[in-house]
Amino acid sequence: MDAIATQDLGKTYRSSLLRALPPSLDGLSLAVQENEVFGFLGRNGAGKTTTIKILSGLVRQTHGEAYIFGDSVRKRQARRHIGYLPENPYFYEYLTPRETLDFYGRLHGLGTRERTAEWDKLSDLLDLRDIASQRVREFSKGMRQRLGFAVALVGDPKVLILDEPMSGLDPLGRRSIRELILRMRDEKKTIFFSSHVLGDVEQICDRVGILVKGKLTSQGRIDELLGKQDSPVEVIVTGLAADVVAELESKALSTRVSEAGHHLTLQDVQTANEAVRVALAKGGSLVEFTQLKESLEDHFVKAQEVSP
Amino acid sequence: MRILAVAQNTFREAVRDKVLYVLLFFAASTILGSKALGWISIGQDVKIVKDISLAAVSIFGVLIAIFVGTSLVYKEIDKRTIYTIICRPMARWEFVIGKYLGMALLLAIVTVVMTLVTAAYVLSLGGSVDTTFFLAVLLIYWELLLITSLAVLMSSVTSPILGALIVFSAFVVGHATTILIDLPEHFHGTWTEFVLACVYYVIPNLSNFNIRSEAANGVEVAPAYVLWAMAYGSVYTIMLLVLASLAFEDKDV
Repeated sequence: MDAIATQDLGKTYRSSLLRALPPSLDGLSLAVQENEVFGFLGRNGAGKTTTIKILSGLVRQTHGEAYIFGDSVRKRQARRHIGYLPENPYFYEYLTPRETLDFYGRLHGLGTRERTAEWDKLSDLLDLRDIASQRVREFSKGMRQRLGFAVALVGDPKVLILDEPMSGLDPLGRRSIRELILRMRDEKKTIFFSSHVLGDVEQICDRVGILVKGKLTSQGRIDELLGKQDSPVEVIVTGLAADVVAELESKALSTRVSEAGHHLTLQDVQTANEAVRVALAKGGSLVEFTQLKESLEDHFVKAQEVSP
Repeated sequence: MRILAVAQNTFREAVRDKVLYVLLFFAASTILGSKALGWISIGQDVKIVKDISLAAVSIFGVLIAIFVGTSLVYKEIDKRTIYTIICRPMARWEFVIGKYLGMALLLAIVTVVMTLVTAAYVLSLGGSVDTTFFLAVLLIYWELLLITSLAVLMSSVTSPILGALIVFSAFVVGHATTILIDLPEHFHGTWTEFVLACVYYVIPNLSNFNIRSEAANGVEVAPAYVLWAMAYGSVYTIMLLVLASLAFEDKDV
């Protein structure tokens, strides 16, 4: 069963004068499998937060349906499966982390003993013990994010929905959130998160979906989306006779010469391997072998340009 | 359990609200300052103190209900604290009722404190407090519960400023509903009469909760009347809370 599934999901907000605004989300159909890390990408206003709010039960869709482990998001049961971390999470300022987790534990229907166990587990995982007696109002951005992550994990949900979890964090903060996401994946959780930090997405996601103006323009494994298997390869070789270079250049898409040697851009990995084998057999040396893959950023930018 | 968690938290938050203490300070000043008017009415000072103090309990209670109540749900949406709450496996009505109960608890404590201050003051002046005095306080509290349910409805659908204006207007009109039907003769048979009659039947008659002059004068009030007034208030309160829950059910936050 899919952890998250949406079918033709759409949302059109209304202005204060009840006029319909352009759709924020239009016909979104996607499926996130269990124990997958799914990156949800898009520019500001593309509809990422609207999707996340529909999945979390904060916003009702105008049409279509969304399911969490087969339960419609309109039902309370669906929310049993999810832990949600909003962008820039806000909590009651006058509570301490322990009181905060206790409050959310009660909302989740946990008993006193279970709530104590949750505090012990989550305060260790998120390093909250040192700040256990501080009020949330004194927290830095990174501390709030850690607390937000702990709140999302209250009740041990199977699906984590994270809205821009790395936004505004320093490199160390981002790294610790990245590590947490991977750790949660290892604990068999499904993670659905939106982000602008494409480098982080590339590092930790199994699959991504790109949303442009409310429509999903592409989704799939990152290597599939970036065409990694068929992408060209640049080979730098040196120490070859002119006739061998000429033979190799005839098979290349493009060539150039630098201090490092002869640069040959070849069609694919197989052609490049053949060229390297020939070069080495003729007494040459291999300096570099690089697959020229498109970055996720290039793909993301291209997706924006293709969309009308 | 979930409703209680929300209620407890609402109470805790309201207790930390400075507005509450400002209003309590003015309420205490009014109660203690009521002696000044007692001097003017020779020999009637205890009666005047009781009358003004009970009015103060009512008015300052209403001000707290309006100022805190109309921002209860709105503030949660505005400050985005609601995001991490209603994504939990709880119904939205549980949240609305939890907020309401937290406020009801706060008003109960505020009312008890103001009543104790009044009773102690009256006793120190050589007066006495009887059952009617406490029944008057009970009905004031019941009126506050009704006003709070309207404030919670407003906080689910509009901004605190507009909500406060509407609730305050309802409070004023609710205490003078008879003017809506005691119209001059030339209004008879007109649309104005019909519309005002509709308003009369929709707006609760808050005078039903006012037995302050009986309390001040030591006149007995039948328990059946108090029970009837409480039932009357409860029907309105429940209807308003149902409306608040329905209004919040499909609200995008």
